[in-house]
Amino acid sequence: MSYYFTILSPSDAPLFNIAFGTSKSGGDGIARFRFPDSAQYMNQFVIHSSLDIVEEAQWMNGNMYLKHIDTYPPAAAYISAFLTPSGTRFLLLHQPPQPPSTSSTGGSSLLSSSFSGASSSRASSSSVAANPTSPQTEEAVRQFMNEVYENYVKTIMSPFYRQGMEIRSPVFRTKVTAAGRKWL
Amino acid sequence: MSQHPRHSAMLSISTSNSNLANAGADKQQPSQNVSTPTQSSSPGLRVPSNRKTIYDRHLNRSRTAELSRASFAFLFSEMVTYAQRRVTGIQDLEKRLNEQGYPLGLRLLDLLFYRTMSSSTSSSLSSSSTSSSPPNRPLRILPLLHLIHGPLWRLLFQRSADALEHSVSPETPNEYMITDNDPLVNTYISVPREMSMLNCAAFVAGIIEGVCDGCGFEAKVSAHNQPTEMWPGRTVFLLRFGDSVMEREKVLERAGVR
Amino acid sequence: MSTTKASRIGEELWKTRVDKINAELVTLTYGTIVAQLCQDYDSDYNEVNKQLDKMGYNIGMRLIEDFLAKSNVGRCANFRETADMIAKVGFKIFLNISPTVTNWTSDNNQFSLIFEENPLADFVELPDDGRAQDELWFSNIFCGVLRGALEMVQMQIEAHFVSDVLRGDDTTEMRVSLVRYIEDEMPPEEE
Repeated sequence: MSYYFTILSPSDAPLFNIAFGTSKSGGDGIARFRFPDSAQYMNQFVIHSSLDIVEEAQWMNGNMYLKHIDTYPPAAAYISAFLTPSGTRFLLLHQPPQPPSTSSTGGSSLLSSSFSGASSSRASSSSVAANPTSPQTEEAVRQFMNEVYENYVKTIMSPFYRQGMEIRSPVFRTKVTAAGRKWL
Repeated sequence: MSQHPRHSAMLSISTSNSNLANAGADKQQPSQNVSTPTQSSSPGLRVPSNRKTIYDRHLNRSRTAELSRASFAFLFSEMVTYAQRRVTGIQDLEKRLNEQGYPLGLRLLDLLFYRTMSSSTSSSLSSSSTSSSPPNRPLRILPLLHLIHGPLWRLLFQRSADALEHSVSPETPNEYMITDNDPLVNTYISVPREMSMLNCAAFVAGIIEGVCDGCGFEAKVSAHNQPTEMWPGRTVFLLRFGDSVMEREKVLERAGVR
Repeated sequence: MSTTKASRIGEELWKTRVDKINAELVTLTYGTIVAQLCQDYDSDYNEVNKQLDKMGYNIGMRLIEDFLAKSNVGRCANFRETADMIAKVGFKIFLNISPTVTNWTSDNNQFSLIFEENPLADFVELPDDGRAQDELWFSNIFCGVLRGALEMVQMQIEAHFVSDVLRGDDTTEMRVSLVRYIEDEMPPEEE
């Protein structure tokens, strides 16, 4: 699974973004989007196109974690959303790996020989690494979002942080990366 | 090519941030990553050798910490005095105090929700719910007002506000009032006679306004002296919600959202 | 008076004579003040330091009355006693902290206060503009408070920060120097 995570201000200004890959089931944490050359552009485009749905859901459902809210079939991209009470949006795009025909290369066979346990869980259709809409994935994303939220609150509590300011702290980036590794 | 304004805003960050490249590079050299932590090699703030940053401090650490009221009173009156030097007239001064409270409201809102989420046993933000499920963002005016009257007031002043009322006038259905009989911010602040109309609780009004705006309820909030014999410092916070809020309120009412 | 006795007095006063308030309200209010100054002075941090010191001075002049009324302590015999009184009683009853007094000069006229804790700086990260960590002393108001308060009890002092964990230093340290005792202006009721 490849992930693109972004934080948007209430007025849709981008505050933070990061791409990473799954660390579950023996994943190496590296993003491998299906269209590597245009991935950045594509990911932002897909996330942007889901914002109308987020805005609608925002007023029908008071939860902070809105779970999987949108799918963009052309890129096999799934979007999950988390809303802070102060209107900031956390959006996570997930893209499952390529179908087996193209992905079963030398790299993955090496993996399965050294980590047999990992390879069996990889086969499971509900695993976080493979299925973007399974209950396990919803739960893992929730944990990820909660952990990012904690770090986000620490960021905005500083008196020098003003709403809409880009989050440039390398420590924050490290924390988000760690949360991704831990839960996704 | 016509681009959605929202989309172009999103792309503006991408040039300055080569995240894709970074993410890959970091992972490919795990050994180097361990020996040289990212903080020291990348741009950003210097950190002490124990590497403690705001991210290492638990958000609940000062939750029950106390300081003297006097220290607040001294700081707050310096803040008012300083603001006074840069404005002309009471209205200006109250506006400035309001503006200083506003960003605090935004911060407190997130802090409140974080704390409610992170405490498994404690009180939920909504008064009716007793479960430990995550708190809900207020979607309607009433839960928002309860959030302010209860949890926000308790976080700031260690007690709830004294009253919550809706305007009785059919002309102003968008007006609500929250009353504090004895506001802390006025307790130690002696206002010069020529400024007897000043209410320093304008600062608190700003905090409330920040909370309302943060939650998506555009509002103007002002503080008014309404002394009674028993409560000479009694202050009424008047909340006036914008038209868009009132219209949404009707839509949500019809949709059965509470 | 010994350091331990001063600590005991401070603890006792904090428990029995001090009206208390949620610490975060103070922390956040102070943060608002500093952020506002940085904005008003267009991130001229030297000027912000000066303004904070000035605010502190105003506070110190008024705070000393409150301090004397609450603590009911007599005149300090020497500057060493004064230092303990500041650290173990003064900081204790206003901010519930007791910075360490250390690094005395041999003439007993200069010491350091080391702040293991600083409620004013909770939640704070300085602006990442390449300058704030070199120029801004976030808690500079403390320097003014000491200057103002001690002036009211006939001591002219100079105080400045030499390090701050917010700047990436390992400690937060303030240096305090006695300039002189203001003998002439001693009010008649003092001995």
